[in-house]
Amino acid sequence: MTHFANYLTTYLTTEIILYTGAIGLLVIGLLGLLVLKNIFRLLLSLVIFESGANLFLVLSGFRANGIAPILTSTQENMSQLVMNDPVPQALVLTAIVIGVGIQALALSLIIKIYQRYRTLDMNEIHRKLEQDIAGISQSTPLASQEQPLYLYQKNSLVQNNEGEK
Amino acid sequence: MSKFSTLIFISGLSFLLIVITAQLPIAHPPMLIGQYIIDHAVQDTGVTNIVTSVVLAYRGLDTLGELAILFTAASGVGLLLSNKLNTKLQPSTKTVRLSNSNFIIEHALNLLFPLLLVVGFYVIFHGHLTPGGGFQGGVIIASAFFLNILAKPYKSSDSEIESTHNNLTIIESLSGVTFIAIGLYALISGHDFLEPFLSHGQLGSLWSAGTLPFLYIAVGLKVGAELSSLLITLYDIDSEELTD
Amino acid sequence: MKMLSLLVVLPLIGAFLIPAIARISVSIAKFIGPLILLYLLSITMPAFMELQSGQSSAIHFAGFLPPYGIAFYIDELSLLFANIILIAFLMVWPWNKNNFSDNHSEIREYSLYLLLLAASSGLVLSSDLFNLYVFYELLAVASYGLIAKQPKIEGIASAASFRYLLLSASGSVLLLLGIALIYSLTGTLNIAHLSSVANESLNTFAGVAAFLLILIGIGVKAEMFPVNSWVPEVYGVISRPLSALFAGLISKIAVLFIAKVLLMVYQQDSILTMILFIGVLGVLTGELIAYRARDMVRMLSFSSIAQLGLVFTALAIPGKTGLYIAVAFMLHHLVVKSALFFLSEKMHSNHEHLKGLYHQSPFIVILFIFLILSLLGIPPFPGFWIKLNLVLNLSTITYGNVAIAIVLLATVIEAAYLFTLVKKMLANDESNKQIAYQTGYQSSYLFAVLLAIILLVSTFNISSLSKSIENMANNTN
Repeated sequence: MTHFANYLTTYLTTEIILYTGAIGLLVIGLLGLLVLKNIFRLLLSLVIFESGANLFLVLSGFRANGIAPILTSTQENMSQLVMNDPVPQALVLTAIVIGVGIQALALSLIIKIYQRYRTLDMNEIHRKLEQDIAGISQSTPLASQEQPLYLYQKNSLVQNNEGEK
Repeated sequence: MSKFSTLIFISGLSFLLIVITAQLPIAHPPMLIGQYIIDHAVQDTGVTNIVTSVVLAYRGLDTLGELAILFTAASGVGLLLSNKLNTKLQPSTKTVRLSNSNFIIEHALNLLFPLLLVVGFYVIFHGHLTPGGGFQGGVIIASAFFLNILAKPYKSSDSEIESTHNNLTIIESLSGVTFIAIGLYALISGHDFLEPFLSHGQLGSLWSAGTLPFLYIAVGLKVGAELSSLLITLYDIDSEELTD
Repeated sequence: MKMLSLLVVLPLIGAFLIPAIARISVSIAKFIGPLILLYLLSITMPAFMELQSGQSSAIHFAGFLPPYGIAFYIDELSLLFANIILIAFLMVWPWNKNNFSDNHSEIREYSLYLLLLAASSGLVLSSDLFNLYVFYELLAVASYGLIAKQPKIEGIASAASFRYLLLSASGSVLLLLGIALIYSLTGTLNIAHLSSVANESLNTFAGVAAFLLILIGIGVKAEMFPVNSWVPEVYGVISRPLSALFAGLISKIAVLFIAKVLLMVYQQDSILTMILFIGVLGVLTGELIAYRARDMVRMLSFSSIAQLGLVFTALAIPGKTGLYIAVAFMLHHLVVKSALFFLSEKMHSNHEHLKGLYHQSPFIVILFIFLILSLLGIPPFPGFWIKLNLVLNLSTITYGNVAIAIVLLATVIEAAYLFTLVKKMLANDESNKQIAYQTGYQSSYLFAVLLAIILLVSTFNISSLSKSIENMANNTN
């Protein structure tokens, strides 16, 4: 038993666990992006994917037995301190805030999409989007078109009428 | 079948990632620029939190870009979800859907709100000395204001939200302009853009590190205002619009 | 020279100020953008003229020398693109927008344009890998907002924008991962510094993987082969001037980013061969899908994928020659494709409805024919000389002959669909006369004519122009 514990402490160091976590987050996020169909879950997968990359980035500054790059009054000899690399920590701060901005924008896009298509299924949205784009190109160019939106929805209007019959 | 092939793809990819990671100098990074910054940051900028010197001095332009991204996202959200504000003619819808919050929540809020503000500003003001800084403090401040909305939803009438939007727009504009103006002042007086000026002061005291604390205050206010306006705009969507 | 940092800073300050000033007066806020553009042009134009051939300099930020701080690298190529960016933004600036609702949030569209401008300038000038990432993200976020904000079709545009966002943001994550790998391996981010340590640290499997991640990440914006599914959707919903900006300028800026990393850090044979294959596949798929397209925007967007494939093919040629041809291709495509998008506003989008356009408005068709002749590479137009140069240089590299065959095949396909379209325009069809010609904005028409004149002038000055571009490429480092 002690042999096993020794084995663990030699090979299962903090940085190995953290790197495993980063790879795991990346893989889970990418898997979600490829497999899922609900656009909100797609966004969440993107968030997970992003956090994996962030963890990977901040780990690039990790040093064995390093301390946080902050001076405190208790430290005596500056030159003998082993400090972690401060640059990745600053970079990851930037990357996280960028991620927050993208997520907020994506959320408002999802709201807009739901108002238009009444669904969160990516396949269905894709299909309807292609129809809509084909409808736009059948009519006049965008900049000079003056018709209201429902003219593009001929197909859906027809379907509704049929449903009423 | 496609899920099976995805699974194979993903397992291959994770294997590749493991192989790549195994090649990295884990726990012994080369630190070509990191070591220089650790050695020189204190005399260059007068901070004790070295990460702050990287965020605001060595890589100050990144921080400006990041503020711009947050601003862009807030602008995009405002632009996309603004239609509702235009067409809002029936003020009654707001009161119907919201229930009153109870006594405990309201009083807990009254207790927490000033506390959160104090913590937020403390984190911002001490960004150059201790862990934390403008981003973290800004998020704490934004959470204080959002807690306010969550706990007292029925009190926010349309005109109140409109005036909040007004104030937030002005804060986010002015704080962003302040950040750039500090940088431009250095440029006009013959230095580089964003070069820190003012004296470094006593190492470790609140008034030290030249212009860096002022930059962090601008960052904190901007992040706080930006996130608050994002949350308020997202909150402000009528839930009726989203349900059939 | 130091004032050139204003190229990034002034648009940002303008963008921050616009929403606040709009609360006081909307009409003042509307003029901030054009004023900033004109002022910046008055800085960059003289700087470009004064810059001696082969001279270059660096702008430092925050008073720290690179590699410790961030630096902008100024040479002829980056200054040329800085000028082009400003002129392009003057063209696509939303001049026609007049009605604002009372809550002033519409004015933020001007902010988004200014932020896009700042990001583009930053991407062209910066020489720090992570700083480039930040500007790349700024570019991306501003474009999501601009794509989604299309009057009357907001729902559709949001869907297109969201699908673009998912792809582009995943690409950004890969880019960030690539940067993290490079930083782990080398411990530096400055591109010039990286090039000095690349031979020892980045010559490994992990180093090549980092480049691949960066390539795929930026490839999304550069309309690169496997990651360009957003192109027809986005160009299908946005306005034509905005399409001209995205296809003409933004994609080129992304290619410049890749070229910077490729030329400075990764001049390895395996990577160049990979780029060659990606480029050739882009050319082939782009032209094949464009051949099947039945409407103007879809055709133009896939043709632009193919043209960017040609740029990547050119980058596969090692050293300065590759850069020279790639830059020439980029400038040519920038002029021609923007002009075509501007011109297409005057035409009906559907091919079948374009019959008889010549009898309605002969000048537009003549302009169109002139532009596509150069796009195809018919002598004596500039497109021909660039393609000739590409083919001659491709024959010297590995797999070059395969690439030449595919490029020529793609040109034939391109000629087939473009000439079919021209034939339709020239046909005499009475029934379509009313709808073939559209009354778009006059300004777009004007810009199309202007760009065509630029192309015509460059046709006559082709030798001196090619010499100066070659010098520019040689002096880049």
